[in-house]
Amino acid sequence: MDFDMECFSTGYEGVEPGDGSVALEDSIMHKGRSATAGSRMLEGFISPISATVIARLESAGYRILGKTTMDEFGASGLFPGAGDSPTSGSVVAVEQGLAEFALCNDYSGSVRRSAASHGLFYIHPTYGTVSRYGLIHCVPSMDQIGIVCRAPDGGERVLSIISGNDPNDGAMLPDTGFAAGEGSRGRKPAVVAVARNAMAASADSPAVWDFAERFEAVEFELEHFSLIGAVMQALCCAEISSSLCRYDGVKFGHRAADYKDMRELYTKTRTEAFGVEAKLAALAGAMVLAQENYSKYYDKSMRLRRVIKESLDFEKYDLIALPICSASPEGLLALHSLPQLCGLPSITAPFGNGGVTLIADAGREDVLFAALREALKL
Amino acid sequence: MNYEVVMGLEVHVELATESKLFCSCSAKFGAEANENVCPACAGMPGMPAVTNKKAVELGIAAALVTNSAIAQVMSFDKKSYFYPDLPAGYQITQWFAPICKDGWVEIEAGSGKKRITLKQIHIEEDAGKLVHEPRTRSSLVDYNRTSVPLVEIVSNPDFRSADEVVAYLEKLRSLLSFAGVSDCKMQEGSLRCDVNISVREEGSEVLGTRTEIKNMNSLKAIARAIDYESRRHIGAIEAGSGELIQETRRWDDDLGETFSMREKETAEDYRYFPNPELMPIRIDEQWISSIRDSLPEPAHVKYERMTTQLGLPEHDSKIITGSLNLSRIYEQTLECFNNPKEVANWIIGELLSIVHAAGVADDDCAIDCAKFAGVLRLVEGKTINRAVGKKLLAKVYSEGVDPDEYVAKHGLGMVSDAGALEPLLREVLEENAKTVAEYLGGSQKVFGFLIGQAMKKTAGKADPAVINELMRKLLSDIDRKSV
Repeated sequence: MDFDMECFSTGYEGVEPGDGSVALEDSIMHKGRSATAGSRMLEGFISPISATVIARLESAGYRILGKTTMDEFGASGLFPGAGDSPTSGSVVAVEQGLAEFALCNDYSGSVRRSAASHGLFYIHPTYGTVSRYGLIHCVPSMDQIGIVCRAPDGGERVLSIISGNDPNDGAMLPDTGFAAGEGSRGRKPAVVAVARNAMAASADSPAVWDFAERFEAVEFELEHFSLIGAVMQALCCAEISSSLCRYDGVKFGHRAADYKDMRELYTKTRTEAFGVEAKLAALAGAMVLAQENYSKYYDKSMRLRRVIKESLDFEKYDLIALPICSASPEGLLALHSLPQLCGLPSITAPFGNGGVTLIADAGREDVLFAALREALKL
Repeated sequence: MNYEVVMGLEVHVELATESKLFCSCSAKFGAEANENVCPACAGMPGMPAVTNKKAVELGIAAALVTNSAIAQVMSFDKKSYFYPDLPAGYQITQWFAPICKDGWVEIEAGSGKKRITLKQIHIEEDAGKLVHEPRTRSSLVDYNRTSVPLVEIVSNPDFRSADEVVAYLEKLRSLLSFAGVSDCKMQEGSLRCDVNISVREEGSEVLGTRTEIKNMNSLKAIARAIDYESRRHIGAIEAGSGELIQETRRWDDDLGETFSMREKETAEDYRYFPNPELMPIRIDEQWISSIRDSLPEPAHVKYERMTTQLGLPEHDSKIITGSLNLSRIYEQTLECFNNPKEVANWIIGELLSIVHAAGVADDDCAIDCAKFAGVLRLVEGKTINRAVGKKLLAKVYSEGVDPDEYVAKHGLGMVSDAGALEPLLREVLEENAKTVAEYLGGSQKVFGFLIGQAMKKTAGKADPAVINELMRKLLSDIDRKSV
């Protein structure tokens, strides 16, 4: 292929780029192809199965272009202060027009931030509405396949293809299909709520206000906003540390060359093949889950997660609008965590001189699309 | 000094599901190594767990037959540790919200009836199996058993003797196998038992140092291990040696001793947390009652019915209801041959002696009940005698022959025609003149010998009633003549 392949970890030979082609983040498994989730641990691992989303896209006539690069198990977004990670290959592939859209698992929120800053949209569906069969586990309570696309309409069409119940995923919501075009029929948002405390110190505040004021704008205080980043780190690290336990050099993936016993097989294999962020997440997660810390960190974070979710009141507003930029790294993580923590659908969009994240009630993707159509005069 | 042994049990029972707990692989015992493995139970990434509903239903059935309080919402948790037989690096189990709590089971041991209370029952997945190859100094892993559904039944420390432990395990086996929860075969590992044991001075309120003993593969091994371990504890207490430590010990059945499993210096932290891949499961009254309504008849109800309605002796009812398999054979045979006492007699008197002689346990005896009934019908209709019937039953059991065809083909039909039998009997009397003389001299016991000889001549096919009567008649004729 004669286009820039830097954003691909594996490009498939002989597939025509452009409209009708899909890029998959390397955490989505495609039978007979490699799937590394960006980790040396899975170098050479060939998927024994294909993700449900692939079968659905192919039967809708889309072709798979290849697997895009990603940071290891998507974990670097959890440590936003720790250094710059390269832009997700999914964003690059769509921005360059190689792929019409890309699918990825953006549990840490870093892909959506980068998508919007590259003028792209990121659609995060309601938790449990898109099958995760064939999606490499990272943070199961937040893992969700989302869509990087150039315009909301295209994303809406893709969402209607990939969403819907799958008996191979045991943690899906019942009746999870989303039909494209519902936005036009669905309820147009009337009230958009802006979180006052999340707006502080964000360069995006004018853009967010501009967006909200196209509807009836109200202000509210997002509860425990200052703790969201910490809650997010504790929960994600706990779950990642568990998801990574399967990589022990025994069955698949990397195995250390020399070891004198089982224990050394484990430690050498994991020391060699995990990168800094994966190790950091695994260690922090093991600490959070340790018996003496469980109630202090993990359980408390779970309680906060529930309190935060229950504090959102979609009786009072139809959408929440959040900025995408923050002056502090912790603020960034907090800004891009709310949909995953609460299992809510959201779209992160470029808008004005910055961007905006819109969050709707569970299952109300239609409201998100209707709002964007209205505000962008599509 | 008198001592009291205090024990609590952890019993693991494999659930009788077709497939594994979180994938659709077969859960059957006895497949080739790694035959029943898929990417999900091999721990590969990207394979979401999907809970087997049947396993939860069998868990509810286990809760019902042990009088347990069923949770309104149960959930699964992860227990993390590294070991090659655990492919995902964590076991899915129930730590925070098990399926039920606070049950009890009534047992009858030497001291009379006693209620054993249960702390909880939880559902979990089994681990794989390591096979060590000393020759190549390597270990092989078989993942067939990985993710096979289990319930772990945790009792309170209510046991005071090995007899009580054995009675409890037999009761559990009966309750669970009759409810269809598990086949409860210790030799195949579908029922496994770990014993927590401590010893204290009689009358003391304080528990002694506790050890956990594992690796007992039969009730006999459990009783021996308890006996050994309690004597080891008493010895250590009396010597004041301080050698008793809280630890896990492995029973070696050949040596008849327990050995320390050399645990790591620090206790392992399993980092339990709620499994984020699985939604909590709500168990409502309707679900429970539909399972309660479809529970098969338990052993004690069957026993009552057999002794009262069917009029079987208590001894017979007890043997038949001692095994789900035997009671099934009894009931299915009874459907084809409606004579409750006769079927029971044939199972206990004949079938079991054939089965036991072949070294097969009651639970594993397999026979075509329609053919079994066919044998009984041939005996009842006097087509064959009882002795031939027993041989025929052995053929039905070992080769599955059709009783009617077999009798016709081998000419086993009973000879009840006195005219045909008389010449044979006369031959016997002539050949055994000395014995005849003894009989006529008043020795009744040689009569049996003469009958035996006559049976031999008819290849065992003679009608015993006819042959008896005819023999007596011929003998009295001789007697009369000689007078």
